[in-house]
Amino acid sequence: MRRREFLTRSIAGAGSALLGARQLPAQQATPAPGAEQSSGSSNLFDMNQGAAKRVVRPPKTSGVRSALTDDERDALERQLHCQCGCTLDVYVCRTTDFSCQVSPAMHRDVIALVEGGYSAQEIIDAFVDSYGEVALMAPTREGFNWAGYLVPFAALAAGTAALVTVLRRMQQRAARVASTAPATGAGAPSLGTTDELSRLEAAVRRDD
Amino acid sequence: VILIGELALWVALLMAAWTGVTSCAGGALGREDLVTSGRRGLYATTAMVVLASLGLWTALLTHDFSLKYVASNTSANMPKVYVFAAFWGGQAGSLLFWTLILALFSAGAIWSARTKARELAPWACGTLAMILVFFIAVVCFKANPYDRLSFVPADGRGMNPQLQNPGMAIHPPNLYLGYVATSIPFAFAIAALVTRRLDAEWLSIVRRWSLLSWFFLTIGITLGMWWAYVELGWSGYWAWDPVENASLLPWLTGTAFLHSIMIQEKRGMLRKWNVTLVVTTFLLAIFGTFITRSGIIESVHSFAQSPVGTWFATFFLLATGVTIYFVSTRLKDLEAKAGLESMVSREAAFLYNNLVFVGIAFSVLWGTLFPILSEWVRGSKITVGPPFFNTVNVPLGLLLLALTGIGPLIAWRKASTSNLRRQFAVPAGAGLTVGVVLLALGMRDSYALVAYTLAGFVAATIAQEFQKGISARRSIHGEALPVATVRLIARNRRRYGGYIVHAGIVVLFAAFAGLAFKRDHDVQMRAGDTKELVDPLGHRWRFVSQGISTSETLNRYVTAVGLEVWRDGVRQGIISSEKRQYLDSNKNPLFEPSTEVGIRSSAKMDLYIVLAGVREDTAELRISFNPLVIWVWIGGMIMAVGGLIVMWPQAERRRAPSGYVATLEPARRELAATT
Repeated sequence: MRRREFLTRSIAGAGSALLGARQLPAQQATPAPGAEQSSGSSNLFDMNQGAAKRVVRPPKTSGVRSALTDDERDALERQLHCQCGCTLDVYVCRTTDFSCQVSPAMHRDVIALVEGGYSAQEIIDAFVDSYGEVALMAPTREGFNWAGYLVPFAALAAGTAALVTVLRRMQQRAARVASTAPATGAGAPSLGTTDELSRLEAAVRRDD
Repeated sequence: VILIGELALWVALLMAAWTGVTSCAGGALGREDLVTSGRRGLYATTAMVVLASLGLWTALLTHDFSLKYVASNTSANMPKVYVFAAFWGGQAGSLLFWTLILALFSAGAIWSARTKARELAPWACGTLAMILVFFIAVVCFKANPYDRLSFVPADGRGMNPQLQNPGMAIHPPNLYLGYVATSIPFAFAIAALVTRRLDAEWLSIVRRWSLLSWFFLTIGITLGMWWAYVELGWSGYWAWDPVENASLLPWLTGTAFLHSIMIQEKRGMLRKWNVTLVVTTFLLAIFGTFITRSGIIESVHSFAQSPVGTWFATFFLLATGVTIYFVSTRLKDLEAKAGLESMVSREAAFLYNNLVFVGIAFSVLWGTLFPILSEWVRGSKITVGPPFFNTVNVPLGLLLLALTGIGPLIAWRKASTSNLRRQFAVPAGAGLTVGVVLLALGMRDSYALVAYTLAGFVAATIAQEFQKGISARRSIHGEALPVATVRLIARNRRRYGGYIVHAGIVVLFAAFAGLAFKRDHDVQMRAGDTKELVDPLGHRWRFVSQGISTSETLNRYVTAVGLEVWRDGVRQGIISSEKRQYLDSNKNPLFEPSTEVGIRSSAKMDLYIVLAGVREDTAELRISFNPLVIWVWIGGMIMAVGGLIVMWPQAERRRAPSGYVATLEPARRELAATT
């Protein structure tokens, strides 16, 4: 089979798989309808091929040269989230998944904006204007988003404080038990006998 | 067989409900006849679930396309191995598979505990039966693999091509084994809380099953990373996808538990904390399943959105409520039996380690759920991707790596200054040497530098521990080095198996840090074109395109590009990358084209070639140099081997009880003798 024919059949097949389930229930020779997996996608999710929106800005000045190198442009695209439904950034998606039509469209918009003389931040802002903050791979560090970044560390700090408090209490209780044990004759609740304590010591030494 | 299987599913539901009621009633009333009936009911439930599973496997292997599940997930021309694996390839089948493992594990756990933990067994059996009731009910009412189509199609639609991979055939079963095994410690925790018997039997059973869960989760996660790397074609193995996170959460809390249970065994401390970790691990496994199957969070792996999400949410809330009730009403029974003697002790170090494990679990959970929270608070959607998770979790991961080395060096109960100096001098020196050498060699990535410094430190602590033990054996017994090494591990499998797990962690972190030096290149090549690239280690690579070819095999059309590869002037062979179009038996295309990556692995670096697409006569390729990736798989394997050594049953039999468990041993024997 020639490559062109192969690609044509691929596209036609994808289309028929997308539509076939509902349109051809009576044709028993066709693949089974009612499938529960994502329709027609080789991915494990429902790919939204129509998710791309145009992000267009007029060129800043006519004939302006690109201010970003290819590497800088790729780095910028790594900050943009492909909207096809995958969790990849635009750069990774467009360079690895030929079936996605969204990341190439977003890439074309990025190129146009770079050619139009826009800076990386201006391009990111333009995408956020069009798609919302969902266009970014990570939340911006402002407003409520700070909670996303800080809460884990705050929780860890709180956990550390709580742990130190608990450890101190446990330490104080152990000290109290140790100081009262000889006077009252009552040992530690479960390690009371000399025999048991010596067994514990031996076990600790053995496993130390 | 298929009809019997379908019927068996409904019988299993009734049997599980009977088991739940009679076991709990038997436990509460002290009626041995009810307890026995409940136990036998569990075995019968298991037999019914096995029958139901055999029925589905029969339907799959005989291509019975009258079943919607079979028609949706297989086709007549699929390789048999993937037809077999299709059992867990879709929503309904995977839930039946989960139920099958749960039933088998439950029967095994209750059978082995029937004499050793007589008081716990009825309640544990009842709890496991309730969990079984939930899963069987979900399978029967919401995701029934025996649902039929109104007609019989000539062929099925086949399996998603990305699932037609050996890694995917064995990765989900391992994860399911890990998830399901968390049910057993949970059931015994509930039983112990109900009966107020959180003692040696409980510790022994819970530890064994937690280890099993940890072992399978470790293998499942590692295989999942491998599958993502070789199959998805994005040149990475961990994307912080919600489903990946869902598998990591119970692994983190389970690992924390396996550390903290040692303190309870030796000192009788942390009883509340350990119970909390056991039930949290189970609840996180259920919560992860809810995330995976409800579709509430965007993920590349999620099963289609379905009504099972509501069921899982309800079950999760119910299980959480029951757990909170029992823990809160048993707090006095969970008081520690001993105090902490020093803030600088192994007990304290294990607690710091637990804090970091739980902290990472929280941050992963937080990041996974933050898009929902943000949308709820602000009304706008956001994406929380790898940049966020790396920002938050990389520092925590490095802290954990440091504690991996620090913990084992500190003495139990109280560490003296001289002890600390003696234990830390060599490892700290080794770690610093690694850091300085790498700095001198030009490494400037701060996280990678810290990671390798800490890896050097932890590796030295492990080597030091082995060296001490081996030297002692050689001087006492006069053994040769290999014999002393083997016997050292064999005689104290828990300790040295644990060190081997730590060695796996070191290897993993070193491999993770290698990605800081990853390089990607986009190239377009026609037949005969040559491209020269330089890898992160300075090697010069030359790629010569052999052109684009197409072919047809069993169930797919293949478009491939071959590159002749040279490194520093030495020919490395030909590497090809493919786009595959899968077909049904009528040669109609199924799904969109998928990618087969060309990978050449070495100890230092992977060459990773992806055919992104073909335009006219030009292949669009992404060529990546991924340093140290092979060590991720090796690290995972080392961890699994260490885990296997730790949980090997013979070690339990040989090893005399020690620590806090030893103090309970005479009472346990006395109890066993009287019952």
